[in-house]
Amino acid sequence: MDLGTLIPQFLPEFVLLGAGLLILLGERVGLERREYFGALSLAGMLLAFLLVAADLGTPGMGGLRGVSAGQVDGAAIPGALYGFSSLGLWFQEFFLLAAGLVALAFLSRPSVERGAAVSYALLIFATLGMLLVTLAADLVYLLLALEITAISSYLLVGYTRRDPRGLEAAMKFYIIGALSAALSFFGASLLFGAYGTTSLSVIGHSWPSGSGGLASAGYAFLLVGLGFEVTAVPFHMWAVDVYDGAPDEVSAFLAGGTKKVGLFAFVLLFTVPLLLVGSLSSATGSARESIQLSLVVLALLTMTLGNLLALLQPEMKRLLAYSSISQAGYMLLGIAVGTAPALTGASLQILAHVLLKTGAFLVVAAVSALGIGPLVADWRGLGVRRPYLSAAFALFLLGLAGIPLTVGFVSKFVLFSALVQAEGWFLWLAVAGLLNSALSVFYYARILKTMYVDKSPTAEETAPARSGEPLGADGLGWGRAGAIALAAVAVVALGVYPQPVLGALGTAAQHFLSLGL
Amino acid sequence: MWQATYLFDWAFLLPLLPALSFVIVGLLGPRLKRLEHGGWVAVGFGFATMVIGVWIAVEEMLSSGGYTDQQYTWFSIPGNGTGTFPNGFSLVVGTLVDPISALMLIVVTVVGFLVLLYSIGYMHHDGGLPRYYAELSLFLAAMNGLVLSDNLLEFFLFWELVGVCSYFLIGFYYEKPSAASAAKEAFLVTRVGDILFLLGIFVYFATYATSGSAGGWAANGFPFVQGNQPFLAGAMGGHSTTLTIAGLLILGGAAGKSAQFPLHVWLPDAMEGPTTVSALIHAATMVAAGVYLLAVASLFLGFTPADQLAIVAIGGFTSFFAATMALVNTDIKRVIAYSTISQLGYMVLAVGAGFAMVGLYHLFTHAFFKALLFLAAGSVIHAVGTQDLFKMGGLGKSMRITGFAFLVGGLSLSGIVPFAGFWSKDDLLASVYGTLATHPVYWPFFLMALATVFLTAYYIFRAFFLAFSGPASRDPTLPTAHEASWVMTGPLLALSGLAMGAGLLPFIPAFASLLPGAGIPPHYGLSELALSGISLGLAAGGIGLAYSLWGNGKVYTAAPNSALGPVRALLLRRYYFKDAYDAIGLRGLYGLSRAADFVERYMIDGTVHGLERAFGGLSNRLRHIESGVVLDYAAFLVSGLLFLLLFLLVIAPWLVSTGGI
Repeated sequence: MDLGTLIPQFLPEFVLLGAGLLILLGERVGLERREYFGALSLAGMLLAFLLVAADLGTPGMGGLRGVSAGQVDGAAIPGALYGFSSLGLWFQEFFLLAAGLVALAFLSRPSVERGAAVSYALLIFATLGMLLVTLAADLVYLLLALEITAISSYLLVGYTRRDPRGLEAAMKFYIIGALSAALSFFGASLLFGAYGTTSLSVIGHSWPSGSGGLASAGYAFLLVGLGFEVTAVPFHMWAVDVYDGAPDEVSAFLAGGTKKVGLFAFVLLFTVPLLLVGSLSSATGSARESIQLSLVVLALLTMTLGNLLALLQPEMKRLLAYSSISQAGYMLLGIAVGTAPALTGASLQILAHVLLKTGAFLVVAAVSALGIGPLVADWRGLGVRRPYLSAAFALFLLGLAGIPLTVGFVSKFVLFSALVQAEGWFLWLAVAGLLNSALSVFYYARILKTMYVDKSPTAEETAPARSGEPLGADGLGWGRAGAIALAAVAVVALGVYPQPVLGALGTAAQHFLSLGL
Repeated sequence: MWQATYLFDWAFLLPLLPALSFVIVGLLGPRLKRLEHGGWVAVGFGFATMVIGVWIAVEEMLSSGGYTDQQYTWFSIPGNGTGTFPNGFSLVVGTLVDPISALMLIVVTVVGFLVLLYSIGYMHHDGGLPRYYAELSLFLAAMNGLVLSDNLLEFFLFWELVGVCSYFLIGFYYEKPSAASAAKEAFLVTRVGDILFLLGIFVYFATYATSGSAGGWAANGFPFVQGNQPFLAGAMGGHSTTLTIAGLLILGGAAGKSAQFPLHVWLPDAMEGPTTVSALIHAATMVAAGVYLLAVASLFLGFTPADQLAIVAIGGFTSFFAATMALVNTDIKRVIAYSTISQLGYMVLAVGAGFAMVGLYHLFTHAFFKALLFLAAGSVIHAVGTQDLFKMGGLGKSMRITGFAFLVGGLSLSGIVPFAGFWSKDDLLASVYGTLATHPVYWPFFLMALATVFLTAYYIFRAFFLAFSGPASRDPTLPTAHEASWVMTGPLLALSGLAMGAGLLPFIPAFASLLPGAGIPPHYGLSELALSGISLGLAAGGIGLAYSLWGNGKVYTAAPNSALGPVRALLLRRYYFKDAYDAIGLRGLYGLSRAADFVERYMIDGTVHGLERAFGGLSNRLRHIESGVVLDYAAFLVSGLLFLLLFLLVIAPWLVSTGGI
């Protein structure tokens, strides 16, 4: 493993690392204005995005390609720390997309703000960790990469340092996160103790032969540690407080970005055990089914409780947080089933959620920058006062509810069809998902009604914007408006013409699963 | 070079044009004050849609039963050559013009245009007109899309969209709490039906995904073009129980949309919307979509005998049950709404008995005379500003056209020869009667349907006499009624013409080709003629009773404590169905949410105090960030872990050893 091969393979990651270090350096030499840091971050992310696209074998970008065609979806090398799957590379694109949208929206925070440089650098480092996770072939590598993301995001939540709510949220996030990380590492050590290796593929194939009990315990610990990452119920409670307390853009990144990394970790960790369900001798196969059953129970709890709790939330950010929790349930469901179409559906659902949830939280950021309160009731009549912003938010809600012509419909359609198609008791999971979707429509419809039907509150209509300096784009700030518009366009574009992305994800999922076997 | 082409290929314009109107009116409506806030734009698009729709229907008549399908694959998931779907599966959208969709197109586009035109006068004084016309246009687009759907999944998508439009339009007067709650109720109840429908699709999908050629059929979203004969009936094989369940689920979906028992509660309350909306959506088109679904399903999926019995039972019972509730109601719109439920029950009954085409025949005539009744009622409400029948009276003199229109509608609904309703209802009863010999179990439902003839004639003429007969209105505070402008009377007269003549259209052979295999025009043997005589006699008796009790300004009042008192109360309270649903539905759901919220907020706080004592020292150190809560989150994390350990180490091995999984 010399640098000569390492650098081209990890070029997108190195680009991000370079951008992050340059930003920190820039602050040292006296750069102050947010615009510089933002431009540098966006440039780095865009370059990384293109490099990953080249690695995926996009036609016409061969010159940029760092990972050779044979290495993507190639046979696993025994003992390798990392490997390149096209599914993983697609997830890198998702993460870069989420980070890019947030970086763009960050531009509309006050131009000179304490921690501006650090926040951009942390955003980049968190993204770097997420990119690394997608390449993991080794348990310890996976957990370390997850920690890079986790530590960056704890800091990101509290970066303003002035806001006590942000600090409190960061502290809670950190304490629970540290506990979860400890549990994850303990689980990993149990698995290592059982099989003497940390290779994901070897562990997956071995379980539950030999020391089955030890390995089962290891998986239980890992389920909790990763369940924390993806806000699976009952490990979800931090999420609402943290999303609520964090700066709005950071909430967008946590809900739209970092949470998804945990989902990919689930994919990496459980694909092999799930693939072998039923294909082994009945005792071994059934033992693997118990993992599947635990995942399914987590998924069902997550979506149902998330939806029920969202139903009566008076505060917009908390409502979105619970809705985000319930969405994680759908994705877990797709992962738990473990067929290629289900994995495709889950991946698309993750992409949909990146766009929809990031977009929705960015609208919340914009609305609170306009001086409108945090309650759903404060949004009364927003459709009249802010037609474009409201239209974008309505679009994101419709997408989350899974209404046709949005990407949310396509992803749910694929996911539920895949569940039905997987046969047997998975049909009931589709039914459960469906009932949950129906339930979620209630609270989305309530927000729509608040925005479009209820009359504006008269006193707040004239309330001045919170920040001193007037912002472009009708008071929203160009960065924020641009990020929201970009997400909205992508939601519709992928809803109307999903075939290119859907087809590619489908093929990637098939390759990924055939790799596991 | 332009060459003669059939408009079939342009059927996609039918959903597209009103959708365009939706966008234009929605965006520009507030600026188009001169054009009735976009109302005339919507009328213009509605007219164009009607011309194309009727043209396509005529082409379909002349093509004698052809199928014209335009199909596009929206998106598909690649397959890997093995497994249940070797070629993946896809969502297909397209337009399918076939005889029955052409028939529906006539109904939707004609009534749609007339209602839009009528709205110009009726809605003139209301606020929020851009919203009204935009939503009505969107509804037309969705309804045309539903009718033209070429597969079950596309059908379902438009099915949901018409439901959303209906929800918005019922709640149009959202400042009125009753309107808002009615909209919510309609949304909830029809959604129960929608979920059942979707579950039915799931069951088909899960059953047929694996079985050979049907797998391709399922993978493409169940295209209707599989043929016009029951496709599954042949492929049923060993799946008859599954098919019965799927059929019942489809019936559930249809019952939600068409307000059939026990999902009927929402339709009377939907009358909170504007009367025009009631005429178009809640009488002529959307509520009939449930019947259309059953007809389509019986044509290309096929129902098992058990399904058929269930459909007959639901339809026959609903027709009678809803008619009884119309007997005592004092609200002119609600009387007509119960009548709609009852008539939809007739159609369902016919489809269940195996006469889908006869059901559609009645759907066709009913759309016109029921829209007519609603619009006439709207004209009355517009003139006197109340819906209470007991305050009206004597309107026949001041509103001659409206009175005439209501009379035509009433005669058609009662099934008096030669009005439209007579032909279809007669055909319907005769068809069901014909099956009695083979299915004696249908007898009670047939008798209910027959009794309904009497009830129908009675309640609609009760309404007619109360509103239009007699010397003057009973409530002197009402404004002096006068006829509205041509935009309202024009549609009334047009619909009157259709309510008189539409029943005879199937006697034209070309038109009859839209209802293939229905035996239309019906064969009149001795028993059919006798049946016609009986039902005419029942209808005449109903009208006579209504006249003797309510005619010429008489108002019959039952003594308050007579034997009929409790029955009356029961009917007015609608057999207490709504109250029961409110209790178990809304309160149940929100109660559950509140309970979950309670657990999350308070029980956690409760445990926090206990934990604080346990972790006293640590808690003190953390107090400055006010987060004793964190400890609790950690506690949940650990308890989740313990549960998982228990599950994976103890429960799962035990389940495996007992073969439980």
